[in-house]
Amino acid sequence: MSLLTSLVPSFTRSAAPVAREGAPVVKPVYDLAETDEGYALTAQLPGVSKDGLELTAETGAITITGRRTWKQPEAWATLYRESTDAAYELVLTHDNAVDIDKIHAELRDGVLRVALPKAEAVKPRKIQVG
Amino acid sequence: MRIVRYNYPSYRSVVPSRSPWSGLEGEIDRLFNSALGDFAGSFAPDRFPVDLYEDQENTYVRAELPGIDRADLGVELVDGTLNIRATRKTSVGEKEESFTLNRSVRVPDAAVNTEKISAAYENGVLTVTLPKREEAKPRKVTVAVN
Repeated sequence: MSLLTSLVPSFTRSAAPVAREGAPVVKPVYDLAETDEGYALTAQLPGVSKDGLELTAETGAITITGRRTWKQPEAWATLYRESTDAAYELVLTHDNAVDIDKIHAELRDGVLRVALPKAEAVKPRKIQVG
Repeated sequence: MRIVRYNYPSYRSVVPSRSPWSGLEGEIDRLFNSALGDFAGSFAPDRFPVDLYEDQENTYVRAELPGIDRADLGVELVDGTLNIRATRKTSVGEKEESFTLNRSVRVPDAAVNTEKISAAYENGVLTVTLPKREEAKPRKVTVAVN
């Protein structure tokens, strides 16, 4: 078996999209727009309230994790299901062009809007020609 | 039922695969995601997922509709069909775009107390509660055995 796993590397590899805690996650529908001042991120996180939302800004990456607050009451029997209970996870990598101290986020009706201001160094600058 | 299944953008991530090829599948997914870029994200934007539940008293319809004003949400019951209509308004700069989402769910008309239907919208999820009629509720009859 060890020979086999060494020959076929994909045997030892874990499935890619599973999150750190081991529970499956879904990538939310999101939209990213760029302006001169920064980036505007809109992510659709239906079922997530403020308590279930986690926004982590590190150098090089922004991670959004959203857990659904609603739990199916025990008396409710499922007739038909299209949604999932899986948490949302979105990881966006950036080349440190974002000023992580000035990130502003707002969650309303299951839509998360994040303003990611550009770091001063990467903003376009007009240089006067003397 | 007139409902068509809704698929999540990355369905494979919801169902963890235990096959020995899952690593390879993951690689293929990644390849497709990177090759298709934004196209992979643009899955039927005019659809939304709907769940159906029931308990002894009510039937529940839950729909994921993030970011819609309560005024732009319409719930109607017509001839045993529950219609959910939602208008999403997005403003990009000065331009305002709006599009309407529609979904119909067949509900047994005879079993629903149409007078007492209620709906709530919380965290982008719409829950419609359809109370059952007294006749349709499960009844327990104890029969004495001699």
